[in-house]
Amino acid sequence: MSGAPATPAPGPLVLGGRSFPPGQLLVMAIVNRTPDSFYLPGATWDEGAALERVHQMVAEGADILDVGGVPAKPADEVTVAEEVRRVVPFIATVRAAYPELVISVDTWRHEVGRAACEAGAGLLNDTWGGWDPELTNVAAEFGAGLVCSHAGGLPPRTRPFRVSYPDVMADVLDRVLGLADRALRAGVRPTGIVIDPAHDFGKNSWQSLEITRRLGELTATGWPVLMSASRKDFVGETLGADVGDRLAGTLAVTAVGAWLGARIFRAHDVAQTRQALDMVAAIRGDLLPARMVRGLA
Amino acid sequence: MNRGVPAVIHAAVCPSPPLLAVELTGRADVLPELRTACAEAVAWLLAANPEVVVVAGAGAATATWDPDDRLDLSGYAPALGTGGKPGLPLAVGLGAMLLDAAGHAGPRVLQAVDEQAPPAECLGLGASLRGLAPRVGLLAMGDGSARRGVAAPGYLDPRAASFDASVERALREGDMAALADLDPDLARDLLATGRAAWQVLAGAISAPGTAGVPAGRVLYADAPLGVGYVVAVLDPPDREPVPVPRA
Repeated sequence: MSGAPATPAPGPLVLGGRSFPPGQLLVMAIVNRTPDSFYLPGATWDEGAALERVHQMVAEGADILDVGGVPAKPADEVTVAEEVRRVVPFIATVRAAYPELVISVDTWRHEVGRAACEAGAGLLNDTWGGWDPELTNVAAEFGAGLVCSHAGGLPPRTRPFRVSYPDVMADVLDRVLGLADRALRAGVRPTGIVIDPAHDFGKNSWQSLEITRRLGELTATGWPVLMSASRKDFVGETLGADVGDRLAGTLAVTAVGAWLGARIFRAHDVAQTRQALDMVAAIRGDLLPARMVRGLA
Repeated sequence: MNRGVPAVIHAAVCPSPPLLAVELTGRADVLPELRTACAEAVAWLLAANPEVVVVAGAGAATATWDPDDRLDLSGYAPALGTGGKPGLPLAVGLGAMLLDAAGHAGPRVLQAVDEQAPPAECLGLGASLRGLAPRVGLLAMGDGSARRGVAAPGYLDPRAASFDASVERALREGDMAALADLDPDLARDLLATGRAAWQVLAGAISAPGTAGVPAGRVLYADAPLGVGYVVAVLDPPDREPVPVPRA
């Protein structure tokens, strides 16, 4: 672990001008402005369809919207200009429609991050583990939040190939805490720093199960933890389920993660994720149940 | 027993489901009409300026509890944590809660009555309350049948609706004899836990030597969750009825 910052006590997470206390579980809803993402490819490629999806996700309880323009998988090159074209005007449109909604941009490129922040994004979801160090400076400059992820050192849009770790969780801790420390030193707001073990990124499915089981080691650092597991391959491989049949597995991962202290859950299925999280929050005693009358009449 | 003391009894009748405690029902306002009716009945009771308010409700044994005792909700919802008096009967504790909610800080007696006590015992207990003060406020906490429908806690008993209707009529007409005559065995069969408290009420209002018929008003009578709830107030006989304040 490089130059570990003092372990912060869990505090409020401040994104896009909104403050979220530690007990509040947040749904980060995925909107892909891509023709070729792995789940429902192209479903929100059209801007009208994407905006409809946003309306639905907000109604279903999304706290954060994560807009992405480049799929994680290797495929045709998406240039900076094209990525900007895909996500930035859309962020501006959503910003105008929902002034209170926290908007995140899923990018590793500082040029895209900058344009997104100018259009109203409040969080930079740097899924590729700090590949472009300039992105950190953009977060600092705009007062945006920053997701510090573990991608095992892989370049963006690559798949893991025979990746092995002496201790995958130790590597996750080392890298994300290192990135958080770099962010702090670059002047990123401490209340906007989030860490993410990044399931599937630079990991085989055994390794993703391991970081799920040991998620408590990440939450124990005090940094808010983002779980991004929705319909991913490790769920599919574990259950023998195609991408369309991974919701139950995703919700199980979600519940375990929430129980172990994760605070943000990146999700395709907002309503179901919201329900799963509300259930966990009620079990933990962090959320008052909706209506209790059974046995009390 | 203080027979012959010309005590004036104002009485309010409320049910005692745990869900009256807002802490137990979550984010929703459960049965707001019932909660409002209870608040109105208690406000009316306190507006009569009783020197003492007696909460009477069924419990495992006839006993007087400390006036400072409060309901321990943790038995119903462990997440709420402990606090309150372990063992304080639900009906008595909810009566105390209603008095607190109405801002009553004056003297109170928390009186549990054995839920299995025979009618004569309940009536005698009620009559004895007349000696507590010249003006006594009685808050009788009791429920109708928990077998009012197939979705009711005790499933449907076809006798339940008429049993509850007879209680409602008795309260509306001030017919204390009808309350005194409630059959304990039938009440037990019907899971009508209010029988003993209602008979304490009958004993207090129609003790030997008293005359006249109290004027009853029913503020709520329904079984939205399969349990019969009735909220009522009873003016003393031969008095101009006092309006019930709107909550």
